[in-house]
Amino acid sequence: MDRKDQLFKEIFDKNSKKIFHLCYGYTGDADSANDLLQETFLKVWQNLDKFRNKSLISTWIYRIAVNTCLTYLRSEKRQAKDELTDNIIENKIEEYSEKNEQVALLYKSISKLEENDRLIITMVLDELPYNEIAEISGISEGNLRVRIHRIKQKLTEIYNQHARI
Amino acid sequence: MQEFDHIEALWAKHTVDVKISADDMLKQAKKDVSNIRTKSLLNIIGMALSIFALASIWIWYDFNSIAAQLGLSIVIIAVLATTVILYNNHRVISQNDFTQNPHIFLQKLKIYQLQRHQLYNKMFWVYVAALSIGTALYFSEILTLLTPWLQGLLLFFSFGWIIFCSTLVRKAVIKRDKERIALLIEKFERISNQFKEAE
Repeated sequence: MDRKDQLFKEIFDKNSKKIFHLCYGYTGDADSANDLLQETFLKVWQNLDKFRNKSLISTWIYRIAVNTCLTYLRSEKRQAKDELTDNIIENKIEEYSEKNEQVALLYKSISKLEENDRLIITMVLDELPYNEIAEISGISEGNLRVRIHRIKQKLTEIYNQHARI
Repeated sequence: MQEFDHIEALWAKHTVDVKISADDMLKQAKKDVSNIRTKSLLNIIGMALSIFALASIWIWYDFNSIAAQLGLSIVIIAVLATTVILYNNHRVISQNDFTQNPHIFLQKLKIYQLQRHQLYNKMFWVYVAALSIGTALYFSEILTLLTPWLQGLLLFFSFGWIIFCSTLVRKAVIKRDKERIALLIEKFERISNQFKEAE
């Protein structure tokens, strides 16, 4: 196995869970999250030689994942899946009810946020430093702090609304 | 009434399982990358071979009329120009930098999609016109050497193929591209609105 393969495997093992979590937060659906995870790491593999250590490798991978999520194009299969997203989430609540209803509610609440907000809050929940989130999302740190405060309020509000139902 | 701390704790507790292993991902990445490159490269090689074949006729066949030489030159230039465009597209695939910030990245994607749209509209008709004029001029000499039957067959298949590609094939390609562009524009507008709100 050559050095690039070894490096790729190390990177995948170290980052795949967090990236999957980010994609899951964005789509609210495990299958779509899996598609996005694979698309992200395909791009990582394609661009690995170009990585120049200007930023942390995790920041670089997050940026690729964010771009992949934002430009997620719906093929017919994906489109059908997207149209069903609400149903999937509704069904998942029932599926989770015995296991973890609160987690299902959290994903449903995240799915009600706007696309960029979903990605930002997922990174916040994964405890990424603010300067890294700013670098990944292309928003200044000042604006990001204000925005995160607003997203936190909005998410808590949506979560509480759903929890009351 | 829950606070954000509760959401944070919930998120931290919830674990996710990645369905694919590092080995499988590596295999798939290698396969996918080589598939994209091979397809794109085969396309370019095919076009390059066409140029080579056309140039061989031009070099080895002793044409009597300037019209035939001019026709063949027009066809070669049209195919050459298309090959250059295909090569540029190939470079976009192989050099696409996904590491820039989302704003710049999305802008570049939008420009790229618009260029593709132009390619299948304006550029396509220029290509078809060049091929038709070139072929007609080339045939002005070549057809005189053939029997009327062969003349008819050659004309039928050559221009039939051009008409088939300009109508059915072009329509299908444009439809597919239009759907992709419409989805992208919809998404870009939504995303730029979200960015505006942040500022």
